[in-house]
Amino acid sequence: MSETGTGGPIASDETFRRLGMAAALVVALSVGAFLALLFLSGHVIPGRQLINYGLLAELAQPSSDYYGAYINILQVFLLTAVMSVICGVFVGLGRISKTPLTAGIARLYVEFFRGTPFLFQIMAIYYGVPAFFEPGTFPLTNFTWPAAIVALTLNHAAYSGEALRGGIESLPTGQMEAARSLGMSYVQAMRNVVLPQAWRNAVPAVGNDLIILVKDTSLLSVIAFPELISQFQYTYSQQFEAWAPLVLVGVFYLTITVPLSALVNYAGEVADPSRRAEP
Amino acid sequence: MNEAPLLAFENVHKYFGETHVLKGIDLGVDEGELVVVIGPSGSGKSTLLRCANRLEEIQEGEIRLAGTPLTASDADVNRLRQRIGMVFQSFNLFPHKTAAGNVTLAPRKVRGIADEKAEERAETLLERVGLSDQRDSYPAELSGGQQQRVAIARALAMDPDVMLFDEVTSALDPELVGEVLGVMRDLAAEGMTMMVVTHEMGFAREVADRIVLMADGEIVETGEPERFFTDPETERAEQFLSKLL
Repeated sequence: MSETGTGGPIASDETFRRLGMAAALVVALSVGAFLALLFLSGHVIPGRQLINYGLLAELAQPSSDYYGAYINILQVFLLTAVMSVICGVFVGLGRISKTPLTAGIARLYVEFFRGTPFLFQIMAIYYGVPAFFEPGTFPLTNFTWPAAIVALTLNHAAYSGEALRGGIESLPTGQMEAARSLGMSYVQAMRNVVLPQAWRNAVPAVGNDLIILVKDTSLLSVIAFPELISQFQYTYSQQFEAWAPLVLVGVFYLTITVPLSALVNYAGEVADPSRRAEP
Repeated sequence: MNEAPLLAFENVHKYFGETHVLKGIDLGVDEGELVVVIGPSGSGKSTLLRCANRLEEIQEGEIRLAGTPLTASDADVNRLRQRIGMVFQSFNLFPHKTAAGNVTLAPRKVRGIADEKAEERAETLLERVGLSDQRDSYPAELSGGQQQRVAIARALAMDPDVMLFDEVTSALDPELVGEVLGVMRDLAAEGMTMMVVTHEMGFAREVADRIVLMADGEIVETGEPERFFTDPETERAEQFLSKLL
């Protein structure tokens, strides 16, 4: 018997590979069985139709409110994606600042927005901010959209900022030094040398955060933002049907996140600086 | 009377935390002169070079470029750095830019030179370092020697008054050292003022106007290369030279 290290291996590579395959198969079969049961329940258990296909067809009509909700989350996503990435650049720059005050404030910002639940933040903004005004004097009549946009932007700027900071810190310090030694100012060196490279390093992490951003729009249901989860709750309260609206909502989310995920992977490959190494 | 040196170090002290790495350096580099700084690792020679570009701050003393104190707190560092070219041991080329892109970036962004003009100039400079056929190559596609030559062209693009070379051949495969030293030799022949930190003693002996030996943060001995290498005055220099063989 050969000794391969302290304690020896838990399993041989081949055993491990087969175990992995078996586990994956078990998962796939379970999910398949669940989906079959769900979609074909009428045939499997007589009289027990889990998905009301008539209702599903109705909810999927072009005139359905679900499309309005879908468009709403698309809009709020696109807007906050751009805003949170732009704000994230400044958060990231603040985090790497050599000025203690700037770095400290950026640090506090990140700690707060990463350290408290998004639900807490959205409530603090939606209910907390108007509380500063005398009753009836709050100037915005529809505060839902502004609160949603501000909350999502503030929260995700913290994550993008950290992603970008990681991207900047993974660059050799020689890049900044070389740029500065040519007479570039800090801002010029950042813009032309450091950020273009840091951005490439940060693409996977920022992309990951954008996918989470799509899903975080569901939390806006607590402030009655007209999005998909609120729409589901409405349908359920009216019809007592769970699965027809659930299927629709799930599909709607996936139509955003699956292409987004593909886009992020593609962007990550294109941006990968090591690809330049291949002549 | 002697003219003031182009690059002058006066009683330069530098600390890294508690460590006293430069202990009162006095040195002048005249216009057109090539000064080679040698010494054991940890002697402070690279730090001295980096201080001349304010990549490191000094705690005492003064460094002047053509009479302008560049270590003053109100010195226009960005403007002064344009007049001091720096070449690094690790090349530090911008990997997201082509060879030509590396050379044109600072002239375009800092000087506001038109793209076309900058391209033309880059062409000339890349030709000068023997790389006119690599202008569209990315750094990762170039050998170490080629990268370092692009780095020299990049520094030259700002028309510096003085060039600093920080162990520029130390990261190179031995067979690539020659091409970089060749470029530096050409520069010296054209009268460029140069301050070179190196371990290449052959190069130092051949092209230096003056050798400066540093040890433990101090200048131990300076002198003409022939005299320095054949007949060192100090025991420390003798010791250092004997270890080279």
